[in-house]
Amino acid sequence: MITVNYFGNIAEAAQSDSEILDQKSLDLGELLDLLDSKYDIRKFQFQVAVNRKIVSKQQTLSISEDDEVALLPPFAGG
Amino acid sequence: MILPGIGATGQQKLKSSSVLVVGAGGLGCAVLPYLAAAGIGKIGIIDGDKIEESNLHRQVLYSSEQLGFYKVKEAANSIIKNNPGVEILVFEEFLTAKNAPEIFPEFDLIIDATDNLFIRYVINDTCVACGKPFIYGSIHQFQGQVSVFNYEAGPTYRDVFPEEDKYAPNCAEAGVLGTTVGLIGMLQANEAMKVILGIGEVLSGKLLIYNLLSNEQQVFEFGKVVQKKKPHISNSFEMISPEEALLGESVLLDVRELEEKPVLALSNCIQIPLSVLESRLDEISKEAKINVFCQSGTRAISAAKILQKANFQQVKAVRGGASDVAQLIENEVKSVEKQD
Repeated sequence: MITVNYFGNIAEAAQSDSEILDQKSLDLGELLDLLDSKYDIRKFQFQVAVNRKIVSKQQTLSISEDDEVALLPPFAGG
Repeated sequence: MILPGIGATGQQKLKSSSVLVVGAGGLGCAVLPYLAAAGIGKIGIIDGDKIEESNLHRQVLYSSEQLGFYKVKEAANSIIKNNPGVEILVFEEFLTAKNAPEIFPEFDLIIDATDNLFIRYVINDTCVACGKPFIYGSIHQFQGQVSVFNYEAGPTYRDVFPEEDKYAPNCAEAGVLGTTVGLIGMLQANEAMKVILGIGEVLSGKLLIYNLLSNEQQVFEFGKVVQKKKPHISNSFEMISPEEALLGESVLLDVRELEEKPVLALSNCIQIPLSVLESRLDEISKEAKINVFCQSGTRAISAAKILQKANFQQVKAVRGGASDVAQLIENEVKSVEKQD
């Protein structure tokens, strides 16, 4: 089970603030591909945080069960 | 100021500090009164906007009697009443890559209270160049982000959001609750006090996201990222107002799609939608003065970047959009009729 939290316009695209994926473990790249196929997330500008630490999207990183992933776009309103 | 950690020394620190607030909108209206009341010695406010009725629900320094007035002046008048001892500098203009390096060195600290992603890179890069910390705040619907960038040579905005060119949300003017910008602005003012007083834990290298619907707060940590290319102010084109766009002998480039309204029938106006701009660049002279506009200002910036990359020399992007330009032309026609 991997928890993915969405913020800003990505939460709008996913129509949810948070989702639990029934996955045991996968690479960060695979996870982003999966989310892109569901919500077309790559059209947005965003950063990825794993367990509240921002990581490079290009990084080879294995996401394991119980990890919490967050997709963070910049906000623009004020 | 009898609080522990502040006292007379702290009050003196506040008095001898100077803060520039970029943007006198929703966030600015929350930040400004607290800075003045705390006794910050010098406060600068920069914004070229005028007060509109649709601002009043969240820009609480303004009243319905001040519609059409410059925000910076009314904001200054309001906060000076609370603390007549504060020195206030107002700049009735929008921040640009051109005026930022002239204004920033006069202040210790910059507060980003804008609603514009593009200008945030200008703020960031200028702060890095001048060695000033800046306090970022921004909102999306019921969520807000706060962070302190370039603090004691710490990470900058580009370390979190390096991709300037990607699709990003437009300023979500509609549907913003006043309390959301109020709370996020208050957090920015609080970070400013902490930086000035040297107390607490500053949000440097940390991005706070506050969800006002759930009252959940999350803090994301980040470090400095080695930039592939040197940070630079890439948006070297100027942003101008619709008024300025109509002055002089320039080409008005409308990058909206063909069906968008209002239609502007002007002899110096050409329309090439952003979607096909790159394939039709040969229709415009490289030497022409080009003022690009769209419906709200976002596509104008994208188009100006394309033109600049293609070596067009004199490109400016118009803030606001077609309806502002149309309104100006209408007023001009009316005043000419009156003179007749």
